[in-house]
Amino acid sequence: MAPDAEESGILKISKHVSYWRRNLKTYLPHHYTGTDSNRMLLAFFILSALDLLGDLDAALTDEERHEYVEWVYNCQIPDGGFRPSPGTYVGTARNQQNAVWDPAHIPGTFFSLLVLVLLGDDLKRVKRKETLIWLNRMQRPDGSFGETIGQAGRVEGGNDTRFGYMATGIRWILRGDIEGHVDDVPDIDVDKFVQCVRDSETYDGGISEAPFHEAHAGFACCAVSALALLDRLPVQTSQQKDQRLRGITDLPSTLHWLVSRQTLTLEEGEEDEGEQNGDANPSKGAQSQQDLSMVGMNGRCNKIADTCYAYWVCAPLDVLGHLHLVDTQRIRLWLLDMTQHFIGGFGKLPGDPPDIYHSYLGLFTLAMFGEPRLKEADAALCISKAAKERIESLPWRKAIVEQKI
Amino acid sequence: MPRFYHDDPAWSDVTPIPQLESGQVLAGISYTAEYSEAMSYLRAVMAANEYSTRVLDLTEHIISLNPAHYTVWLYRAQTLSALNRNLREEIKWLNPTALKHLKNYQIWHHRQTIIDRLGSCDGEQEFVEQMLEKDAKNYHVWSYRQWVVRRFGLFGDEGERKWCEGMMERDVRNNSVWNHRFFVVFGGLKGEVEEGLLKRELEYAQDAVRKAPQNECPWNYIRGVLRQAKKPMSTVKEFAKEFADLEKPDEVRSTHALDLLADIYEEEKKNDEAKTALDLLANKYDPIRAKYWEYRARSLDSAAVEA
Ligand SMILES: [Zn+2]
Repeated sequence: MAPDAEESGILKISKHVSYWRRNLKTYLPHHYTGTDSNRMLLAFFILSALDLLGDLDAALTDEERHEYVEWVYNCQIPDGGFRPSPGTYVGTARNQQNAVWDPAHIPGTFFSLLVLVLLGDDLKRVKRKETLIWLNRMQRPDGSFGETIGQAGRVEGGNDTRFGYMATGIRWILRGDIEGHVDDVPDIDVDKFVQCVRDSETYDGGISEAPFHEAHAGFACCAVSALALLDRLPVQTSQQKDQRLRGITDLPSTLHWLVSRQTLTLEEGEEDEGEQNGDANPSKGAQSQQDLSMVGMNGRCNKIADTCYAYWVCAPLDVLGHLHLVDTQRIRLWLLDMTQHFIGGFGKLPGDPPDIYHSYLGLFTLAMFGEPRLKEADAALCISKAAKERIESLPWRKAIVEQKI
Repeated sequence: MPRFYHDDPAWSDVTPIPQLESGQVLAGISYTAEYSEAMSYLRAVMAANEYSTRVLDLTEHIISLNPAHYTVWLYRAQTLSALNRNLREEIKWLNPTALKHLKNYQIWHHRQTIIDRLGSCDGEQEFVEQMLEKDAKNYHVWSYRQWVVRRFGLFGDEGERKWCEGMMERDVRNNSVWNHRFFVVFGGLKGEVEEGLLKRELEYAQDAVRKAPQNECPWNYIRGVLRQAKKPMSTVKEFAKEFADLEKPDEVRSTHALDLLADIYEEEKKNDEAKTALDLLANKYDPIRAKYWEYRARSLDSAAVEA
């Protein structure tokens, strides 16, 4: 699997560019049907990858850019928010009675906003006020957020931190991290959401989807990023303490759990080596025989390394200001030499064909590590720093944020 | 065999609604003709709020082609309730569907809705077990099992805990099982952790460590139990030393024991010993985390300066 010495540790930029351009310009193969109800997520990955690669402007004509923007706005729901794909849209047949089957969607809305920003749109046609009112309705009494609103106003979907993260992302884009009313629309219940995150911290220092569920890097990442977008992370020594409720109640344990996700178990079938008969000797493995040049990341205790967890683990470390606790050079080498594919993109495991999800998160992780030929990355929003700055520079948004200071 | 509706007399009264998008589209998918047509009929019935037996068939068909389509599941749940369908029948249909689509999340959400309406978890534990046979660390399955425990009040249940022990015998490195045990034992607990319970849980985890000292799960469990019981880590100092004794730096049998000892020495304000343990981890026994162990050693210094 590992390439020859002269090919080792090289990001094949031109291959990645052609991989992502192909995803942009041609129809995706039918095995993406499983993501049909989340096409906006795929659209985000495609455009943001080209942005990180510095190829987005070259990849799009003005006409294409314009048509894509229209395509996204066609997914906007009249009452605020966006659908995540045109699949539920019934056109002129849409009415009050059937609107519930074509609802605004938390991931659909978050990724629509990001896609519009990547396309250079100023978000002026976003039904901002309606979206913020809808966002409040998406929060359950326990503080968590769901995916959509279904029959009888019931909030549907899991109550894990993924939806909470995307909800805080929508809030951050549309009104910054200021608290309280904006334009007569009340804020979400930030304290309740923070409490939800605190309750999902696990006995081993990780974070899970709900109290007492198993710690999982994906949920940990979403929780930490959400707290960052809400400005509710633990206070740094340099910061003023205040009365506001903050998340991550035991930072040392959470850091311990995150760094423990580094593993040398890089391929399937290696999992139980030496442990079956209980004769494990750590020095035997760690010191001499094992190759330490590459380190993978897993998402849970005793699972094997997987490309996407490089992001799910390293992003919260970065957001918490502790990325230096892992050896990014070794993780980089694992991604480049083991899961990078020769046609461009990244697979889940060594030798796997690339898929959009792992290809984006692999590439983003390298950008987060400061890969020289990629744009700088913002871990919490999972976009380039330049794209984040574009959001912050939108005149209407600046007016909201500055008004409050 | 693909299934189509346009020449099916049972559907002749329905005008399908095609997917409405034009011009340049983002993330367009080359749907199969079958999926494309089925979705067009689904849009038509949803637009008319039709709840009927044929709609149940249609949702079943689409689920077989794309089980991750959340709207289809929600529409199916509404149809079941509008038709007042026998929900036990629904569970019977769901079982093989779930076994076929192991990684799917929506199936579990749907199952939860149905079992909640039924108000009985008869057969659920057996079904979960069947799923775990295929994938013993499946996150959705474990989450669902936890929902069952919560919804039907199985906290502290002897049977549930014994079942965990059986799962543990199959694979002591399965962290989902460890987490489930913690949940069953402590999830419903109000008030303090009694001595007897503390002893039982520590001994259980310690036995597991003896079987595989380098297994991270029971070590995390021990820390978790002590934190839950508000006991210092030094409670298990002698136990940790069985696997990592600073006097015998060449005979360390578990990095997790060394790690725990470092915390215990820090707790006891024995920074030199803590540092020795961290140095052994960084340089000899766990070099892939060297940066972290070095950071911990530096933090000892700065903590000492502040104090
Ligand atoms: Zn993955």
